[in-house]
Amino acid sequence: MTQLLKQQDGVWQITDSQPTDWSPAESFSTGSALKLAVDVEPETAWASASLIAVDFPALTDGRGLSLAALLRQRIGYAGDLRAVGAVHEDLLHFLLRCGFSSFELPAERDPAIALQLLAPYSNFYQGSVMDPLPALLR
Amino acid sequence: MYQYNDFDRQFVNERVAHYRDQTQRYLNGALSEDEFLQLRLRNGLYIQRLAPMLRVAIPYGTLSSKQLRALASIANTYDRGYGHLSTRQNMQFNWPEIADVPDILEQLATVNMHAIQTSGSCIRNVTTDHFAGAAADESIDPRPYCELIRQWSTLHPEFEWLPRKFKIAVSGGKVDRAAIDVHDIGLRVYEVAQQPVFDVIVGGGLGRTPVIGTTIREGLPAHHLLTYLHAILRVYNRYGRRDNKYKARIKILLRALGAEAFTQRVDEEWQQVIKESEPLADAAITKMQGFFQIPTLPAIDDPDFSLDEQRLTHPEFSRWIERNVSAHQCEGYANIILSTKAPGIPPGDVSAEQMQAVADWADQFGCSEVRISHEQNFALPHIRQQDLFQLWQLASDHDLATANAGLITDVICCPGGDFCSLANAKSIPIAEAIQRRLDDADFLHDLGDLDLNISGCMNACGHHHVGHIGILGVDKKGQEFYQISLGGHAGHSGESASLGQIIGPSVSRDQVPTVIDNIINIHLSLRHQDESFLACFRRVGIQPFKVSLRSDAHDTAA
Ligand code: SF4
Repeated sequence: MTQLLKQQDGVWQITDSQPTDWSPAESFSTGSALKLAVDVEPETAWASASLIAVDFPALTDGRGLSLAALLRQRIGYAGDLRAVGAVHEDLLHFLLRCGFSSFELPAERDPAIALQLLAPYSNFYQGSVMDPLPALLR
Repeated sequence: MYQYNDFDRQFVNERVAHYRDQTQRYLNGALSEDEFLQLRLRNGLYIQRLAPMLRVAIPYGTLSSKQLRALASIANTYDRGYGHLSTRQNMQFNWPEIADVPDILEQLATVNMHAIQTSGSCIRNVTTDHFAGAAADESIDPRPYCELIRQWSTLHPEFEWLPRKFKIAVSGGKVDRAAIDVHDIGLRVYEVAQQPVFDVIVGGGLGRTPVIGTTIREGLPAHHLLTYLHAILRVYNRYGRRDNKYKARIKILLRALGAEAFTQRVDEEWQQVIKESEPLADAAITKMQGFFQIPTLPAIDDPDFSLDEQRLTHPEFSRWIERNVSAHQCEGYANIILSTKAPGIPPGDVSAEQMQAVADWADQFGCSEVRISHEQNFALPHIRQQDLFQLWQLASDHDLATANAGLITDVICCPGGDFCSLANAKSIPIAEAIQRRLDDADFLHDLGDLDLNISGCMNACGHHHVGHIGILGVDKKGQEFYQISLGGHAGHSGESASLGQIIGPSVSRDQVPTVIDNIINIHLSLRHQDESFLACFRRVGIQPFKVSLRSDAHDTAA
């Protein structure tokens, strides 16, 4: 059983994950929910997805971070972008700044700890998908 | 120097708090060994053969006297009164308790220091010329760009979880003192039409597969430095191999794609990145340059001062001037190397007392600024010529005045089998045996420039591939053996970088000093006048040196 970490009315909450009818990248059609491997090449058509999940194979695999940045900045996807798979609470702040907006936490992760670790830093040096301005110019 | 503002201080404090929380969760079982490993590595904590090791970041090898005193205090409280200067200009402490590390970090934070990204598969501390902003041959001060890169790469959301570690070095001098040809990215900054531009060298590195980097772009304008780095890192993060850690560095990706295809991929990505982001504003560059103005130098009160008399009466001082003192941008001043390579002391090891003393000298004679060189020595910029003699005397009292910068006894050496759990063989005793054998100062000075680099295993932390003489610890059926290579060069002294060639089968520990002796004797018999070892080797090749491995080599060479 996985847990969904998501904002509701501006407040982060943990709920049970609802089953989703995922499409793989090959059989995408407008409006479907996409589940992507971290090594796919992003396609413009995906901007019309209803939901996109990026499946992290391991805590240490940072490819999904670059993919998220591309989906946001290059493809212009504006909907819910979800990290699934090996999602770790200590990486939430990186994931958020690359454009993820919700997280499917593995069952064994402690949701209370995850909620506390959404923003261990009040600000960062470099600009990001979420805030393009670097500290030097703020 | 760069000065922290409220944001920097808050950020570092928050990093300490986050790490303290991670340590707590590990100690109470909420984080597994493997999870904590990834988290602690990204904050500089290794578990070594005997105990943990904490690597503290010294951004581009520059620190203040105050920061150095804080390191001395940490050495006394948490290490055994020592610190170790690494080949990437950082300082390492052995033996800290895992549970104490958050307290050490908190103490570091009070002097604007940290251990962020000093290990792990992420962008490491950026390195540069240890005399940046002071060397006479410098065309552009690289430090503002180093600091821009430091800020850009610190907890970068996209690039904290790379296939492998990633090292960037920047050089702004005619002579490259930062070994930019053997880094994942090497940057050479210079001026064209009064504008700073960069040559970008990618895919150099040592380790299992040593490679000299490939220049993939020349004349990159400074305001595109970070967008271009972003493109390279993104290509690497997405396409670098993750299935085999020995094939995960960017050099392997570059080789697999071919330099041309790799460059094309980076350029295509860069064209997109440029559209999606703002270039570095001139205001940001100017603001950063403001932090690195040459400090107010102590006034010269004796304009006719000359070193001649002191040199004449003190030959040892004269030798020190020749080897360890180099030209400063301003007349009447000098830059000096305080060698840690005194006989009997592991290369790069410095005691807390030595740290205190160096900090005092930086205050008394310099501008409270201390540098660490990648050759594992202390360096002091901005010293008045007229103070050199007094400083030399003080340094002599603290074993920091060995006149051997760039000589064979100025060994670069990794911690090796005495400390490191990855080692095949010990490295420190090898350095010591060679230093003890070569103790005739006149002979050493006559021999001249000779880089001896020693690594305890293929990971090459002692940069053996780029030593004029390189020694690598290998494991032969459970026994410690050493493979010797010749003709490597890191690119300083103006000549191009090169990788060493192995002279033959590896030898046992006892044999190493004799073989080194033989190599030196062969060189002396072949050299033209006072030709350097490297120049001689490049002229005659490896063949004449092969005999050095034979037990009767001495007779043959003589
Ligand atoms: S070269 Fe090998 S033995 Fe030496 S410090 Fe690096 S990993 Fe350890």
